[in-house]
Amino acid sequence: MRRKKKRYRKKGRARGMQVVFREFQKDRIAMTSFMLLVFFILFVFIASLFIDQEQLMRINLYDRYSPPGEKYLLGADQGGKDILGQLIIGARNSIFIALAITLITGLIGIVVGLICGYFGGWVDYIIMRIIDFFVTIPSLLFIIVFVTLVPKYSVTTFILIMSLFLWTGTARLVRSKALSESKRDYVSASKTLGTGDFAIIRREVAPNLSSLLIVEMTLNFAGNVGIETGLSYLGFGLPPTTPSLGTLVSYANNPAVLQQYWWVWLPASLLILFMMLAINYIGQALRRSVDVKQRLG
Amino acid sequence: MRRIISLCIAVLLITALTGSNAFSKNVTLPTSVTNEGTPIKGGILKVGIVKDEPFQGVFLAELYENRYDGAIMSYASNAIFEMDGDFLINDEGIASMDVNQKENKVTITIREGVRWSDGEPLKIEDLILPYEIIAHPDYTGVRYDTEFKNIIGVEEYHEGKAKTISGIRKIDERTLEIRFKKLSPAIFSGGDGLWTYAAPSHQLKGIPVKKLIESDAVRKNPVTLGPFKFHKIVPGESVQFVKNPYYWKGEPKLDGVFVEVVPSSSVSVAIGSGKYDIVSGFTATKWPEIQKYDNIEILGRPELYYSYLGFKLGKWDPKKREVVTDLNSTPVGDQALRQAMGYALDVEAVSEVLFFNFRQRANSLIPPAFKTYHDATLKGYTYNPEKAKKILDKAGYIDIDGDGFREDPKGNKLEIKFATMAGDTIQDEIAAYYLQNWRDVGLNVTLTTGRPIEVNAFYDKVEADDPEIHVFMAAWGTGTNPSPSGLYGKSDAFNFSRFTSEFLEETIQKIDSPEAFDQSYRAEQFRIWQQYMAEKAPVIPLQFSYEIVPVNKRVKNYSIDFENPTELHEIELLAKEPIKSK
Repeated sequence: MRRKKKRYRKKGRARGMQVVFREFQKDRIAMTSFMLLVFFILFVFIASLFIDQEQLMRINLYDRYSPPGEKYLLGADQGGKDILGQLIIGARNSIFIALAITLITGLIGIVVGLICGYFGGWVDYIIMRIIDFFVTIPSLLFIIVFVTLVPKYSVTTFILIMSLFLWTGTARLVRSKALSESKRDYVSASKTLGTGDFAIIRREVAPNLSSLLIVEMTLNFAGNVGIETGLSYLGFGLPPTTPSLGTLVSYANNPAVLQQYWWVWLPASLLILFMMLAINYIGQALRRSVDVKQRLG
Repeated sequence: MRRIISLCIAVLLITALTGSNAFSKNVTLPTSVTNEGTPIKGGILKVGIVKDEPFQGVFLAELYENRYDGAIMSYASNAIFEMDGDFLINDEGIASMDVNQKENKVTITIREGVRWSDGEPLKIEDLILPYEIIAHPDYTGVRYDTEFKNIIGVEEYHEGKAKTISGIRKIDERTLEIRFKKLSPAIFSGGDGLWTYAAPSHQLKGIPVKKLIESDAVRKNPVTLGPFKFHKIVPGESVQFVKNPYYWKGEPKLDGVFVEVVPSSSVSVAIGSGKYDIVSGFTATKWPEIQKYDNIEILGRPELYYSYLGFKLGKWDPKKREVVTDLNSTPVGDQALRQAMGYALDVEAVSEVLFFNFRQRANSLIPPAFKTYHDATLKGYTYNPEKAKKILDKAGYIDIDGDGFREDPKGNKLEIKFATMAGDTIQDEIAAYYLQNWRDVGLNVTLTTGRPIEVNAFYDKVEADDPEIHVFMAAWGTGTNPSPSGLYGKSDAFNFSRFTSEFLEETIQKIDSPEAFDQSYRAEQFRIWQQYMAEKAPVIPLQFSYEIVPVNKRVKNYSIDFENPTELHEIELLAKEPIKSK
């Protein structure tokens, strides 16, 4: 009797991916979320290339609050601006901002965390105090003050301001894992062999954190989408001339819009819900896949 | 044949009746309401003032600067004169006035037995005190203007050369004589420098003038003459009034009045849930939101108001207390540019769509409520972007570098900073729409500070001539005296556009001159003034307004008619609480 050759015997990393892939196959919701999300992101980024933002944000007073129909597929808001176009560009902005913040904070957090965790001692001590400082600052208030003060603020300044306060979470997480990893035998062995510190960090400690990092960054991504939309909802996010999902939802503060002109805020709210749920499910599936005890597949 | 005619008439009639929709022009609302029922004893009238920020709370007529404090003070008013439907002083009030045109003097007589809210009798010193406050060298307010200097002896007192104002003389315990440099018809509307309020000298006399504005007597426990007196003030939020037992017309029927600030986003729901009896400052943009409520009667009247676009054309010299015009110091010094900016704005669409025709495009700086003086023939500025572009082309504003924005005649980049007040989302839409209108004619206009400015900060910046403001949008509650003196004169702190010229000063003087007692002469000067302002365009009027006042059905009688307004002390209520809508 011939045993079927197990096809998935490959190099180390690929084996990890196979585990993840199997986890997704078992978790239907995560799979659907992943496919829908990828499709949605592609659609949004490609469609926004065809939309002229200036034309989209032109105020047409006579089309105020137009219900969904021929001219405006999903209706128009109080300035007569097309909702569908705003959803597309707004979603693109939210995703882009969230992605940028996640990557920047991830990068800073990883670098700082690794250095702290590996070197320990006074390096760790000083950096941890800096992190403590940032943690105790009421970051939301500072972000609001910055946004109010900076005169010509745009998507870029917004991303930089947010990243300034959000890198600490990743840093602490990475640091604790790096601390424990750095005490392992293989690291000590490398040191004895005379390998340079940064080489050890890069080649040996970091790869062992990769699974943790991927999960952390995915869940951060979900949270960051919420931050931009939340701040725009409060009025401290993107300027009103830039389409944003949060701004659309904020129009629901007006009882007339909430009750009668539902097309202004409901699609935007559902879209935010969808994006965050989808990313969350994906993140949870990823988290399960790195922990043997929790795997479904 | 006859059948065809009657059919045509019937069709016309039907189309006329069904043709009226939410955008019907010339909409009129009743000015008064009477609700049937037996009134309860006492009760507290609940008043809401629509405002998104806290109120300032300067409760002294000589020092207050905005209409919200004015609206709150009206329940405890220190006004000594009453006016008729044409806004002329009559003798129904606390004081009556006798005008001696030949000798340029006015004799004021106060009634017997009038008392302040703390029981102290009203005396002539209380009428003299406001003049001594406003003309004082340490005065911090805005009422010391061109008109005020018309009183003899005021300038010497202001410069510290005299201890009292020589033109103001107490004749006896109830009579006061004021001598003016000149008299004009404005005196009958409370102009020419006449001050129509009294101040409680027994409460204020110990307080140095420059500390008045922060004193308790102005902020916490003002003593007043009106039907109600200040009882409890929650700073910025609300004022609780109780009835003034010493009110000269008799004790009010109500126990008190509660006045509260209500944000524009929640005022409509508050009206429906019966939170207020009367709402003041209700904007027409929310008109459809209160249509479905059956617990209110909506009153309306033409408002003594106009909104305008102001251009900063100079500075205010605080030492000399006069306007210094400098057209070269600002990008909007060119008259053609200002005119083009006026033609570029689509105020008509804003008035029709956002205000449901409760506002109309203004053609002049005199609201139509002043029938004799409003120049209805003046064309003014209308929405005409093509004309705006032609004016700009002719004046040399061409787009050289092809970025869609015109450069100035010298070829430099042109960026015009526009300041506007922060309000509800509708205000933000209007600001964004106007910026779009200007962009469409090729003008690069951006918002000062990048966003609409909070109301108090806005007026601070405008009054201080902030260089970051080239053009701004604001409004005036004109009060009952239509004279441009006080707003457009050389010595007027309220002349925010900082524009003055010899011809302008002359015309303003002529409007309030002895010759102007001839109505037709005065009307002619008003006409000349309105046309001059339209041509020079230091300010461009934007909208006239029709005021809307929702009144809860538990108020027995309420009238906002200028001829016959409701007396506050006579208001009665029909239920313990305002009625809720079903």
